[in-house]
Formats: sequence, C-alpha cells, structure tokens
Amino acid sequence: MKNIEVKICSGTTCFVMGSSFLSELYEIIPQKYGDRVTVKPSLCLGQCSNSDKHSKAPYVKIDEEYISEATIEKVLNILDKKVCGNE
Amino acid sequence: MFIDIGCSQKKKYNQNAYGDYFISKRYKDTGRVIAILSDGLGSGIKANILASMTATMLLKFIEAQSDIRVACETIMNSLPVCKVRKISYSTFSAIDCDEDGNAKIVEEGNPQFLWIKNNEIQEPEYKVITSKTFTNRHMHLYKINLEKGDRIIFCSDGVTQAALGTKELHLGLRREGLIEIVLNKLKEEPDISSDDLTRYIVKQVEIIEPDHKLKDDTSVACLYFRDPRRAMVFTGPPYDMEQDNLYATSFYNFNGKKAIAGGTTANLVARELNLEIQPDTNLNVGKLPGISYMKGIDLVTEGILTLTKTAEYLETGVAKDDAAGKLMNFLLDSDEIKFMVGAKLNQAHYNPNLPVEIEIRKNVIKKISNLLEDKYTKKVDVRFV
Repeated sequence: MKNIEVKICSGTTCFVMGSSFLSELYEIIPQKYGDRVTVKPSLCLGQCSNSDKHSKAPYVKIDEEYISEATIEKVLNILDKKVCGNE
Repeated sequence: MFIDIGCSQKKKYNQNAYGDYFISKRYKDTGRVIAILSDGLGSGIKANILASMTATMLLKFIEAQSDIRVACETIMNSLPVCKVRKISYSTFSAIDCDEDGNAKIVEEGNPQFLWIKNNEIQEPEYKVITSKTFTNRHMHLYKINLEKGDRIIFCSDGVTQAALGTKELHLGLRREGLIEIVLNKLKEEPDISSDDLTRYIVKQVEIIEPDHKLKDDTSVACLYFRDPRRAMVFTGPPYDMEQDNLYATSFYNFNGKKAIAGGTTANLVARELNLEIQPDTNLNVGKLPGISYMKGIDLVTEGILTLTKTAEYLETGVAKDDAAGKLMNFLLDSDEIKFMVGAKLNQAHYNPNLPVEIEIRKNVIKKISNLLEDKYTKKVDVRFV
C-alpha cells in the first residue's frame, strides 16, 4: 500500500490566509490514519503566485494534487476517499 | 577591531527611576565610539534628571570638540553645587576611543575604571586636572592604547560601596572585590560578551547586599575590544533571476553566520545549491510560521511576517521563543550584520484579500537596521540585489 504524503504550505500568503489553523492536522492525521499518511509543513509551494485573479490560499499538497482554499474538513474528506481507495 | 559595548543597571531599592545614566554612540564611518556613565546626586527622579543631563550634554560636547579634555573640563567647571551637600550635582566617566585602540578616558568623581589585559588589571598613569572654578573638583585624564582582547569596565559607586557596613564587608565591596568578581568570571568565560559580563556583575552586587536590597543605584558598563562576529541575512529573491546562482553562492560562501528570512529565498538557495530543506513542525506555534533547517545555514525562517515581528521584538526588547525570537537572538549575537535584500516583488502579497500586516520588505529591513544601529549599536550594511 502506497503511503500518502500531505504537505501544508506555511509560506507567507498561505499562513496569513489560514494555514496556521491547519496545524491541527499535524495531530489529527497521525491519530486518524496512523502511518498510512505522513504530514509535514512545507515552505512556499509556489501556488499563490500562479493562481489567476484571486489567490486561493491556503494550499495543501496531497501527493501530486494541490488543494486550494484548504480547510481541515476539506483535507480530511479527500484523505478519507484516498485511504479507502488505496485499501 | 570591534568594540562590544554593554551596560547593565539596577535601581536603588524602592526607587522608581534610575539615578545613573549610561549613553554611548558609535560613529560608523570613523570607527569612533564615545561612551559616558554618569551618577546623579541622590536617587530617584532627581538623580535621574541630573545624570541623564550630564551624560547627554557631555556626549554632545565630546562629539563637537576634538578633545575630550576640553569637553569634560567645561562640564566639570559648570556643574552646579548641591545646596545641601555642597558637592557637585553629578559625577561622570567618559571614554572617547576608536577601533584602532586609541582611547582617552576622563573620570570625575566616579570609581576608577578597570582595564583588563590578558586577565590582568593594568594600572595606567593619569594626569590630574583641577577645576578652575571649584578647587575641590578634580578629574583624571588617561591616554591609553588598547589591544585586541582588552576590556574597559566602568561602574558607579553603588558597585564599589555595595554591602557597606555589613559584618563581612564593612568597607563595602571596593575596587578589590569588584576585580575579584570580574577576573574570576573571565577565567570561567574568557570570551563573555559585554552585555553578559555587566549583567553578571550587577547580579553579584545584588547578591552580596543584605536582603538583596540595593542601597544605591548600581551600574556597570563594559567595552570589549575584539574581532567582530559577522553575520549575513538573505531575504527576498533577487530582482534578476539569472543571477540567482551567483547570489546564492556568494551568500553560502560568506565568512560568518548565515540566516535566510523567506520561504521563496530558502527554496531558491536550495534549488541553486542542491540543498535539502527540512521544515520543523515544533515551532509552528502562535502567529508565526516555524523555522526550517538547511545544511550550512544557521537559521531559516519565513520572510515578511517573521521580519515584522522581529522588528517589534527589537523595539520592545522582549521576545517570545518563536521564529522571530530566534532571528532576534541571531542578530543580537552578531556585531557586523549584512542584509542581502532581494528586490523582486512577490505578486501574491499584493492581493487585496491579504491582511494589512504584509508590509513592504524594504521598509521592514530599514526599520530593523535602524534599530540594530541605534538601539543595539551594531554595524549594519544593507544591500539590495
């Protein structure tokens, strides 16, 4: 089974747009998924300057996929689906 | 040579103002340093006003005059006399020196300064100059040459007279006692900074006082002549992307401590030099992003938020143990700080949805460099790339 990697952007834009509230994920994810998912912070993922008119920060990267306007619920929902799909 | 200046003070017990005043000024272009410690008569607000007036005026006089002797003589001749005690309103010690080690020192009324070379006390010769207007006033004029490793320590009489009248030290700590404290500490920590040394001495004075209540204002100032501790901070990506590698390499090869303030900057250095970045989850507390680790670099933090917070900490002097606190300690543990500031705009920061805390990097760096120069007497060089 492949390990899922979650990276939470802690670049300036993401941080002020709410990624500081995502820090709870560092506790929730290991509790919920054990070693099936690893979660770590990341320096600027570079997404904030790529987006079109309005920034969709904060960004979270799950494997190769970027999640814009990330919230704890949004990230957990995607992880639930991925973990189920992996099994 | 770099002159590391430090001063530590404690008020007399139960007083709400300091009766001693220390002031120093560093002249970046000439390497000249002027420092003055003044002790105002009495204690509390009155002494505070007398001491601060004497010290600030003396600084201005020495600055304007080419000769410290003339400046000090003028002040000595014109200090008013206290009606009650019939002595002058304040006493002072002043030093005018440069980075080549040439120093002139004048003392009027304060305890004799300590000159420490190779952990030994030097006893330099001095000239006595008597006031023309008040014959009971004399000042001592010293002309000395300082070498690397030398220290000059000034103190107010609160130090030498500490514990006066007690059973153990009925004549007070005196100069001998102070020398013992200082030399023992220097044996233990030969490279101790001026700040740490003066704080240590004041603490010792407090310990020997009965009930740890200081009977007089207690001040210690130290000038330490040594090699400068160099540091460089790289913040913001350079304007010309094609030069990234050049700047990253010159930063990495800098001879001194290195810090990066900026996620994009850290990514840039990592990319150009093939280094790995490891973010630390532990420090991601409060309102600041955490720090990261990179091989060969002493500190990696986020950019603008951390810098803004660092400026705030430097201004108040109080810091939390977060990324900005770490950056502040990094800066304060250095003497010569170079900022390499990338001038490229971060498009994402000009989003109207973002909170107003996002300031312009140039302004924040300017604020930090002014604080480091004026408040912490560091040598700062800012270069935009």
